Amino acid sequence: MLSNIGIALVYLVLIFSFLIIYISSVDLKTSSQFIEKNIYKLSLFQITFTVLSFFTLIIGFVNSDFSLINVYENSHTAKPLFYKIAGTWGNHEGSLLLWVNILVIFSYLFLIFNHTHNKKFRLYTLIFQNILILGFLFFLLLNSNPFNSIYPIPLEGLGLNPILQDPALAIHPPLLYVGFVGCSIYFSAAMASLLSGYAGKLFAQSIKTWVKISWCFQTLGIIVGSIWAYYELGWGGFWFWDPVENASLLPWFAITALMHSLIVLEKRNTLYSWVIILCLSTFILSVTGTFLVRSGILNSVHTFASDPTRGIYILSFLSLMIFSALIIFFIKNKKETYNFNLKSRETFILANNWFMVFFLVTVLIGMLYPIFLDVLTNVKISVGPPFFNIVIIPLVVPFMFLMAIGPKFGWVKSQNKIFYKILFLILGAIIINLLIFYFFGKYSFLSNLIFIAAIFLILYSLLDLKKIFNNKKKFELPRIISHLSFGLLVFFIGINHQFSLEEDFNLKVGEIKKTNNYEINFKDMKVKENKNYKAIIGNFKLTDLKNDLAQYLNPEIRIYSNPETLTYEAAIRTKITSDLYLTMSNVSRSDYYNIKFQKKPFMIWIWISALMIALGGFMQLILKKNED
Amino acid sequence: MKKKLFFLIIYFLFLGPLSSSDNKTELSEIYKNLRCLVCQGQSIADSNSDFAATVKLVVQDQFNEGKTKDEIYKFLISKYGEWIVYQPTFSKSNLLLWTLPYFIFIMGGVFIFLIIRKSKNNKAN
Repeated sequence: MLSNIGIALVYLVLIFSFLIIYISSVDLKTSSQFIEKNIYKLSLFQITFTVLSFFTLIIGFVNSDFSLINVYENSHTAKPLFYKIAGTWGNHEGSLLLWVNILVIFSYLFLIFNHTHNKKFRLYTLIFQNILILGFLFFLLLNSNPFNSIYPIPLEGLGLNPILQDPALAIHPPLLYVGFVGCSIYFSAAMASLLSGYAGKLFAQSIKTWVKISWCFQTLGIIVGSIWAYYELGWGGFWFWDPVENASLLPWFAITALMHSLIVLEKRNTLYSWVIILCLSTFILSVTGTFLVRSGILNSVHTFASDPTRGIYILSFLSLMIFSALIIFFIKNKKETYNFNLKSRETFILANNWFMVFFLVTVLIGMLYPIFLDVLTNVKISVGPPFFNIVIIPLVVPFMFLMAIGPKFGWVKSQNKIFYKILFLILGAIIINLLIFYFFGKYSFLSNLIFIAAIFLILYSLLDLKKIFNNKKKFELPRIISHLSFGLLVFFIGINHQFSLEEDFNLKVGEIKKTNNYEINFKDMKVKENKNYKAIIGNFKLTDLKNDLAQYLNPEIRIYSNPETLTYEAAIRTKITSDLYLTMSNVSRSDYYNIKFQKKPFMIWIWISALMIALGGFMQLILKKNED
Repeated sequence: MKKKLFFLIIYFLFLGPLSSSDNKTELSEIYKNLRCLVCQGQSIADSNSDFAATVKLVVQDQFNEGKTKDEIYKFLISKYGEWIVYQPTFSKSNLLLWTLPYFIFIMGGVFIFLIIRKSKNNKAN
């Protein structure tokens, strides 16, 4: 029943997409200044049916309707309601339907909200967006239909991967999808801009808000994923340079570059071609990332929905997208003359893009090089965290300096006398760094530079912040918050990296382990039955030898029944100055448990600074709205 | 300004106990650079598998024998192939991997430099 409704709705969306493309192409030739009313109506129908189809699937999951293969494979009656709903997008087919939903929603919103812009440009955008929608709809119907039915109807489902049963991971995909798929609208808009000749400043204004929205959601999505990895994977880290994380970083670098150069296009009416390239590549990179992850080409802990046969479809669709984008770009792109002065804000923004492209290229090479090497020479190599740290971190130092002083320069040409201020603040940063170095411990030369640069950026941004409260130039506030938070983020990651404590040992119940600063007492263990899993809970008494403070930590080993899986839940004690992190895991064929104990200074501040970067973005969205 | 600096210094002086790392970190650094071959994208340090436990013991033994980091990596690579280390070796076949990012960075710099210089010429004319 649900299967039929769902499939019918998807076909309706398909038909409406064709209709919209057809009527829009007809409307392109008319002389009227306004878009035909029917197109609005059709789009409204399209969005209604799309959203309804998604709700149909959600109902299937909520009611545990196992006549749908997708529900049978990814759900279970014993699951809490929240995870039943989250299960809708926790699998490949469902997430693809979500993907189509976001494509359609953005298509509709762009049509409605950009009514002041050129008609031809809007129609072309609508046409391209609907071509994308068609592409993904065909993929969904031919290869990954979430509404496929199964007969005879199974009595019970197979269940959702337990490590996905987590609040952070339930909201992680929708956030990321709004971020990644949201990029589609300015992919379409860029193509439309090339074809309709609606370029420059006005084009920048038409996509500005959309770029900001997807930037905010991407940033937030990446952070939530990272927080999830921290407490769920039980490794105590927050960024692993894992292929899936890298895949999410690629479009993020592109979009961050875009967000900055878009300002130049709006204010100075230059860099148009570059902005177009970034618009096109942001979405292309999003799809590439999805392709690499879904096809199973990349080996990763985060890969939950991989299947090689899907790869071929996404790959051909992707090639088609890149190919047509390149052709239209080279035919339609006009040569620009640039007028950049060294001491101007646009030059600094160009420098931002320069670094962003470098970060992007490094991550891309790190991801793709092993694949090529394997194909060409049959040698398998791993490119992991050490590679990225070695190549990228040194360049973060100059990047942060530019980030601090760049916004101080005016457009076109400025005579800003900030030399002494810079000198003074660098001196301050060096002194603070020396104090940390002297009192708390030794670290490498490069780490010194990182700290100095981060502190410099923080100090500079704090001064900016103070200035804002004096002269009430509120529109600068979001930028300052994001830049300040980036400095804080690097600073706290640095501290965290330098001063983390890590112990790895085996213990039996009743045994005590003494380290330099802590005494860890494995007191006892108990078993607890829960709704969808059984938990073995360890009870550890942790004594800080310096001040004789004792506290109890309770890591768990969880045995999920459907599907049968073991997961390890870390016990985390978060304080303002540090996190204590303890995991236990069973050692096979023995009474011993493997214990990993970590002390991670300022962990909470890493999350706070990262979230504040995103907050800056959201503030900009709201503040700009008020200005209009 | 001076007041602010002063408070910052005080703040950092009285921050919670931060202690520097000891020689144990070298071992965990080695673990982190080794891929658990039976897992999905996990390092030896993070994995709970038997394979990880075995490799840890091997590394510990060699480390206690006084072997250096590079010697241990070399030994493991000869046994399991380059796939096991997360930091690719500086070898001929990896030359492009290590240099290409910087090459592109330099090209970008040259490009921006040219744009700025050209703009100045435009003005002079």
